[in-house]
Amino acid sequence: MPITLIVNGEERATQAAPMTPLLDVLREEFFLTGAKAVCREGFCGACTVHADGIARMSCLMPVGLAQGCAITTVEAIAADGVLSPLQQALEDHDVVQCGMCFPGMVMSLTKFLEQNAHPSRDEMKTALAGNICRCTGYERIIDAVLALTNAPQAAE
Amino acid sequence: MAHADNLYIAASVADAVAVLADRAGTATPLAGATWVMRAPLRREPLAHSYVAISQIEALQRIDISEDEAVIGSCVTHARLAEALAGRGDLAALATAAAKSANPAVRQAATVGGNLCTADFAAADLVPALLCLDAAVELEGPGGLQRLPLQEFLSLRHALPVGSLLCRIVVPRSAARSAHARLPLRKAGDYPVAIASLSIEQDDKGIVTRAAVAVGSVEPVARRWPSLETALVGRPLNTAWIGVQAERLAEEFTGRDGIEAPGWYRVKVLPTLVRRAVEALSAQTA
Repeated sequence: MPITLIVNGEERATQAAPMTPLLDVLREEFFLTGAKAVCREGFCGACTVHADGIARMSCLMPVGLAQGCAITTVEAIAADGVLSPLQQALEDHDVVQCGMCFPGMVMSLTKFLEQNAHPSRDEMKTALAGNICRCTGYERIIDAVLALTNAPQAAE
Repeated sequence: MAHADNLYIAASVADAVAVLADRAGTATPLAGATWVMRAPLRREPLAHSYVAISQIEALQRIDISEDEAVIGSCVTHARLAEALAGRGDLAALATAAAKSANPAVRQAATVGGNLCTADFAAADLVPALLCLDAAVELEGPGGLQRLPLQEFLSLRHALPVGSLLCRIVVPRSAARSAHARLPLRKAGDYPVAIASLSIEQDDKGIVTRAAVAVGSVEPVARRWPSLETALVGRPLNTAWIGVQAERLAEEFTGRDGIEAPGWYRVKVLPTLVRRAVEALSAQTA
């Protein structure tokens, strides 16, 4: 029996074994390679996606448990090809380095900023505890996000 | 409802218990899956089949009354931390749930998984629940069974076929509690050692009841009875308690692990006890 899920608003089905990591189905079957396969143990955050509106590590989620879930990957964050304000801020501040961790950073921060529109620096660091950047670009990421959240329009 | 032979999605507790019993020891309950999915990295085989229980509504409940908190085994760390925030007697558990792992794992990892994963020595919720005198409720072919948590920890390797951890029952009290942990990074790592405290004091500040639990130092978390005895009948003095913890720490045999040797886990334990006492004092202030 196929497993069906809604990926970036589109109904998709997979015949993968139900204990297959969702990450592998997204990348290898649906060719959504934004989520990265790095540590595969829930430490690095490079595979973060949204599952029913919650930021989750897709390497630790069996696709069988994603039956019927709405999955959002980084490919859907730039609606109609227009970068989200977060993505734009990261680009404006020239934050991206090697890019391996970045889709996960964007997914974690997107969800975090929905819940806390004006975070402190410490709150941001806590929110990013599960996203590791081996280029160690953390402070620039935080600077960029704070510039976004402290901008006048962010208070509206 | 089954997707395939190796994953059955249970619709109810009775359904899960029946399938677990029917598959007679070859099936394992699956909740948040955060431990099971890493089996290949530990060079462990996956179980023959899994019975997913995370979609059973009854196991996702949190009921908090004046007398007790009843926590469904599939409640995630994130939901638990949110539900317990601001309740002083349960602060150790709230802190444990809020600080363990990282935000995305806390959205998936469950209370029941933390208690049932016998090989996970660094589980934060275990010492927190031990210091709060928690009990667990199991459903199985033989009916409902309630066990003190410490007893469950010693039996969890060999539970009767078809047993399912369904609820954790935490008695409420006039105590205050705190949880101190030491990860090697500020956050995100497994803690090297954990100290959880629950303390009741009279109106003069004298400790009338003390519960101390230690996690991650030995393979299985446990209470620290000699330190508890030393605390009762005295004021809550951080420095004095730290000295007692240093004196009694040799009762622990630290486990060697990739992140820290056993001696180090024991060495940092008194400092964590002090930090937990400081956290209690901060709650009072």
